[in-house]
Amino acid sequence: MPKIRLVGDSLTLLTYCLRGAAAWDNGQPVLASDVAFTLKLMQAPGLHNEGIRTQFSFIRELRADPNNARRFTLVCRGQASDFAHASGDFFILPEAALDARGTLRRYRLADLIDRPTNAAPDTVLAAIAQRYVAAAPGRHPERLPGCGPYRLVSWEKDHRLRFQRKPQWWADQLKSPPLVLQAHPQQIDFLVIPDGASAALALRRGEVDLYPEVPARDFNRLRRSAKAQQTLAFYITPSHNVVTAGFNTRRPALADRLTRQALALLFDVPALLAAAQQGLGQRTVGIISPNTDRNYADSLPLLSFAPNRAAALLQQAGWRQKAADPAAGWMRQGPGGEVQRLALQVRYRADETTFTTIGLQFRAAAARLGIAVELRPTEASAFLSTLKAGDFDLYIRLVRGNPYLFNFTSVLHSEAAGEDNLTGFGTPDSDRLVEALAVAQSPAIRGRLLRKLQVELREEMPLVPLFFQYNCLAANRRLRHLYPSSLRPGYAAAAITWAPQAILP
Amino acid sequence: MRRAPRFAFARGARAVAISWLTLVGALALLAPILPLPYPPAQPDLAHFSLPPFTAGSAHWLGTDPLGRDVLTELVFGARTALGLSVVATVLANALGALLGGAAGFWRNQLRLPLISSAGLFGLLWWALTLPGAGAGLVVAAVGLAGSWWASARRGPWLPVPLDAGVLGATALLGAVPRLVLVVVLAGSVALSPAGLLGVLVLTSWAGPARLVRAEMLRVGVQPFVAAARALGLPPGRVWWRHALPAACWPLRTAFPLGLAGLLGLESTLSFLGIGLPPEVPSWGQLLNTARLEPTAWWLVAGPGGLLLLTILALQALSSPSALGK
Repeated sequence: MPKIRLVGDSLTLLTYCLRGAAAWDNGQPVLASDVAFTLKLMQAPGLHNEGIRTQFSFIRELRADPNNARRFTLVCRGQASDFAHASGDFFILPEAALDARGTLRRYRLADLIDRPTNAAPDTVLAAIAQRYVAAAPGRHPERLPGCGPYRLVSWEKDHRLRFQRKPQWWADQLKSPPLVLQAHPQQIDFLVIPDGASAALALRRGEVDLYPEVPARDFNRLRRSAKAQQTLAFYITPSHNVVTAGFNTRRPALADRLTRQALALLFDVPALLAAAQQGLGQRTVGIISPNTDRNYADSLPLLSFAPNRAAALLQQAGWRQKAADPAAGWMRQGPGGEVQRLALQVRYRADETTFTTIGLQFRAAAARLGIAVELRPTEASAFLSTLKAGDFDLYIRLVRGNPYLFNFTSVLHSEAAGEDNLTGFGTPDSDRLVEALAVAQSPAIRGRLLRKLQVELREEMPLVPLFFQYNCLAANRRLRHLYPSSLRPGYAAAAITWAPQAILP
Repeated sequence: MRRAPRFAFARGARAVAISWLTLVGALALLAPILPLPYPPAQPDLAHFSLPPFTAGSAHWLGTDPLGRDVLTELVFGARTALGLSVVATVLANALGALLGGAAGFWRNQLRLPLISSAGLFGLLWWALTLPGAGAGLVVAAVGLAGSWWASARRGPWLPVPLDAGVLGATALLGAVPRLVLVVVLAGSVALSPAGLLGVLVLTSWAGPARLVRAEMLRVGVQPFVAAARALGLPPGRVWWRHALPAACWPLRTAFPLGLAGLLGLESTLSFLGIGLPPEVPSWGQLLNTARLEPTAWWLVAGPGGLLLLTILALQALSSPSALGK
């Protein structure tokens, strides 16, 4: 972890020192200049890195230590308590391979961050971006030297990835490497099996040794099977993944909070948790996990299933049902005199049974009130782009959280509407809270702000957090040191070892 | 004398097939007023994957893994299957008969006034929503209105290679397996039931078109058609009133087969999770849920059995002996 120094009331200095042994595959050491290059590349125009750009824009400058090429200080704007954690959470890229002449060194990181989007094109930056895109490190990691313990030896798209342990890796020299620097298996194969039932079958047959994020139905079926119990071990950890419904607040019919509050009462969460998750989950009042006591707004009551109250709220929001023809649904007059009709199109990923169950339950509850709901399961590949395009009234999706990151700017701030802020929500109050949270100075302040944000979100109801899932993991009983955790992917692949065969009963 | 038992068997099979189809048709028609304990597409979250005839439960045929009542889904699924497939088959046969009949009657010798051709071209442009679709609509309106004027006078004529066009289109549709074509079409755009109907019709008209075209080649040279022409009747009227009804005769056999094919295709699509949204009950979707609960035999037996029997019945109807030939 870095050394932290606070300067005045608006700056944080984080001093890191890279390990002396850390080296790229070609033997060159990993240096502070590589970190500086990576941070600048994140902010370089012409690359599709909007998400990572906002995530790390708090790092304004990297001050290299003139006496030690591995030591550097990150100058961060603000004094958030999670800067120390967040600032070290990215992959370093080799400067020598992507920018051998050091052309990016002449730019200051802060200038790149503040560069207006309509600035004149810069040939140097464009050339760097082009070189990075051409290298395609995501698809061809072999083109760049890495500094990790494994190398990708084969990749069959949508089927299999094979990693092999490098014979010589710099961390092998360390005497007692920490968990993150352990790499035991000689080879790791990742199989892509999209269908849960097929994956469970492959696990039972011994074709795979570990299956993370097992759907609750398959997990319980495996747990109940006496035969599977002989060969498999089961782990459950709480996760930070919350199944959430979100309203498109840009639609006139959903622009007011009373309507959204009313519709939120049509989710029968306890029954859904029991049916779709077979009880493997936790109810919640907000997007913060109930297991984080300090941050969870426990003063808020859980949402109840109350269609009658929903109907009353709808009337309060100005919606009326024609007494003569209840089948015509709910209508009201908009501010411009136009007639609005309450009908919803619900989008969710087509391959998720849990979401289908939620959609059907919501539709049935809405139908009893006379609200027309159309379910639109959408292909996984097109799902996010459809939501970003705003082509939905209500979405149901899994929001993956991180217990260390509380910067919600990209997902909840009104300025991110149309990008990662899918609901398009944002009030001056909520924007202020989100901004304050990103730079909260202590866990206590952050907790207070998070609770306030949850209360605000409950009041405005752009999102309906339904329940947190558990991370269910099933693995061969001979596997040791899996370290099941609430963080993705839910286990430590490189730390796994095999127990001897003899210990099994 | 030796053929009598086979005829008797065929007549028996036909009677059984008709009875079965009548029963399924009646179920489909009466579905909304049948005293079913649960409405369709409504999950009972307290009872999911419930086996049939469980004591103390009103789900007589059990529930699927999403908690939907299997009996209700089967009954309303019959409505969806027959509604969609029958309408699609009728439309596909009608479209195929018109196109194939016209191609076989006029071959490549049809001449259209230039202005009518421009109108049709504009209509096609607008229907395909190509760039400048509004202008296409204007051209269509002007062209079709001008056709009245052009038919009265002699104008420039444009040859229309109707036969080559229809044959080319049927060959093109025949070159790609229908399931692949439908999956691509259904995957590229979000389909409503009406959209799915359109896709099914567009991919199914080629078979009837080929049949009617072939029959039209035979009918076109028959004495009654020649007599009608000799009487000086307009070619359009000869085609519509005399030739086409005779040329459509083979569709009597093809219709049940086409219906069976579309029934299977619609169920396959639902099984693959393409096409119909989950709130529309369908046999294919019910079959699909068996993947989630491999031990739930009732999710395979119910819709699978209904589908199998219905397709068999339709095939029995279309056999030549059943038609009395």
